[in-house]
Amino acid sequence: MSDVAPRGAEPLVLKVLALAFTVFIVGYILVPILVTVAMSFNDAAMIRFPINVWSMKWYADFFGSPQWMDALENSILIAIGTAAISTTSGVLCAWAFQRFHIPFRDMWYILIMMPLFMPGVVLGLGVAIAFGGISIGGYAFYGSRELVMLAHSLWAMPLVFMLMEATFKTIDYRIVEASYDLGGGPVRTFFEVVLPLVSTGIVSSLLFAFVISLNEFVMALFLTDRDTQTLPVLMWLSLRSAGTPRLAVASVILALTVFTCLTVIMLWYIRQLRKVAR
Amino acid sequence: MTVSTALELRNVIRRFGTVVAVNDVSLNVSKGEFVTLLGPSGSGKTSTLRLVGGFENLDGGSILLNGQRIDHLPAYRRDTATIFQSGALFPHKTVAENVAYGLRMRNVPKDAIMKRISESLDIVRLKGFEARYPAQLSGGQKQRVALARSLAVRPAILLFDEPLSALDLSLRLQLRAEIKRLHDELKFTAIYVTHDQGEAMAMSSRVAVMNAGAIEQIDKPETVFHSPTSEFVYTFIGESCCLPVRVTSAGIEDKKGQAVGLRLGERLAEGECRIYVRPSRLRLISEAALLPNQLTARIHFIEFLGDLYRYHLKAGALELAADHAGSIGHGVGDEIEIGWRNEDMRVFR
Repeated sequence: MSDVAPRGAEPLVLKVLALAFTVFIVGYILVPILVTVAMSFNDAAMIRFPINVWSMKWYADFFGSPQWMDALENSILIAIGTAAISTTSGVLCAWAFQRFHIPFRDMWYILIMMPLFMPGVVLGLGVAIAFGGISIGGYAFYGSRELVMLAHSLWAMPLVFMLMEATFKTIDYRIVEASYDLGGGPVRTFFEVVLPLVSTGIVSSLLFAFVISLNEFVMALFLTDRDTQTLPVLMWLSLRSAGTPRLAVASVILALTVFTCLTVIMLWYIRQLRKVAR
Repeated sequence: MTVSTALELRNVIRRFGTVVAVNDVSLNVSKGEFVTLLGPSGSGKTSTLRLVGGFENLDGGSILLNGQRIDHLPAYRRDTATIFQSGALFPHKTVAENVAYGLRMRNVPKDAIMKRISESLDIVRLKGFEARYPAQLSGGQKQRVALARSLAVRPAILLFDEPLSALDLSLRLQLRAEIKRLHDELKFTAIYVTHDQGEAMAMSSRVAVMNAGAIEQIDKPETVFHSPTSEFVYTFIGESCCLPVRVTSAGIEDKKGQAVGLRLGERLAEGECRIYVRPSRLRLISEAALLPNQLTARIHFIEFLGDLYRYHLKAGALELAADHAGSIGHGVGDEIEIGWRNEDMRVFR
């Protein structure tokens, strides 16, 4: 005889409460996004309910505006650069941690992770002050996209490092030894065996770094000028002058990009799971 | 040094902190020889193998492969190939890609690689599995792919690191026979590490019994089994019973000082010693009567082992076990006579 009550025998009150709670949580998460999406189809000149006329007018306006398209381009280029810089450095750094004996390991670990917990204002201001007057070969570093990429990598690289450090730990080290054993040198082994084994981690790292940079606002505000300002920065500036539904369109574009990234991570993960379970 | 020596270890030492894992090991392996390193865990057998493979650094001595020193070379520059306990196949590569890996690293031309893949898979009887991924193979198949992958590069020496210990018994016996067959056919040179004496006996040209980082005895399996040179080898290989006794002018007594009914054919020198016998070599009741060494003991309990009954016996503080095909018609508590021949007994002090 089982002491466990059969499934479905919970009191009705509990079931209703559970359902209500679930609906509340899902709603809580989705409402801001749904409101923004709805607002982006508003024909009016102001962000305001109710929406009387629906239209794609502000989408046309967004994609027709050189200023907004430049900001979108800046955002995406900076995000790609950040993804490349932080993934490369984070992966190599994590591999070195995994593979070699490193003196003062814990100290280095804290040092690497520290920027992740620093307020964006502190980092943004710090980088702005440090690189404010610096130009290399006549190229002013301050205000450039590259500087924003580096600043964003301060946040993204520790994240990649943390993620990859955990991923590398899952590798059966005998497999790496097998590669050495069969004549694969360290570099070939890294590219032929290690990287494919952690491909899920790499893809996740790239996309996380991309999304972090895309979403980042404070450092970008401190470090960009009119030519290099990112989408969030332009949104903030234009909100102060005119709150048109164009802002909602920009939000939808940002949100869609993030969703796409998450979908790619999911699909990749499922693909890898299939491979192992085949 | 002769041309026929494939591998030579000279006074090899490996320390981990204060622990000496490999303590002054010297070993010669001839071409085509299958040498097993047999020992309990922590005896240094795996460390020795990993030193040859290049996965550990030497703390002393030297290693020569085909007359050339290799101990300064990294693993990927040594002409050795290891079969790991877990198989260590590349999970993201197919069977064919796994087998091809070592050849690609050696820049073998593509058509030659294709030929070698099919040869190697043929040898381990895995034709038709080329496109499968390791996750789609059974444990035994994985180990055979690992073997094919190592054989494909035609190394100067194959290093087996307990390759069968993760498999279940029937598969282990099957693969053991297969490795033996392959060695007879291909005449490769190999070092095989195991803690399973059955494997060591069945496959080896020579067995090196290791203990505490050193080789205790190295010889043909039969010699190691029948003429162990040390107490450790005697007790590690085959089952044995230990009778710790003290020989005095008055007779033989157990550790507690009580006289025991032990009558030996040859007189032992006075003092403490350990007498060893094997359960399979002991004779009981009437069969014991004519043998030079005899002991009167009481049946403590009886185990039924299928083919045999195992009688657990006590004589004072001495405990031993004796195997007998079929029942002897005595039960627990009965006193019986046990006997053995001189050559079935070893005395160590």
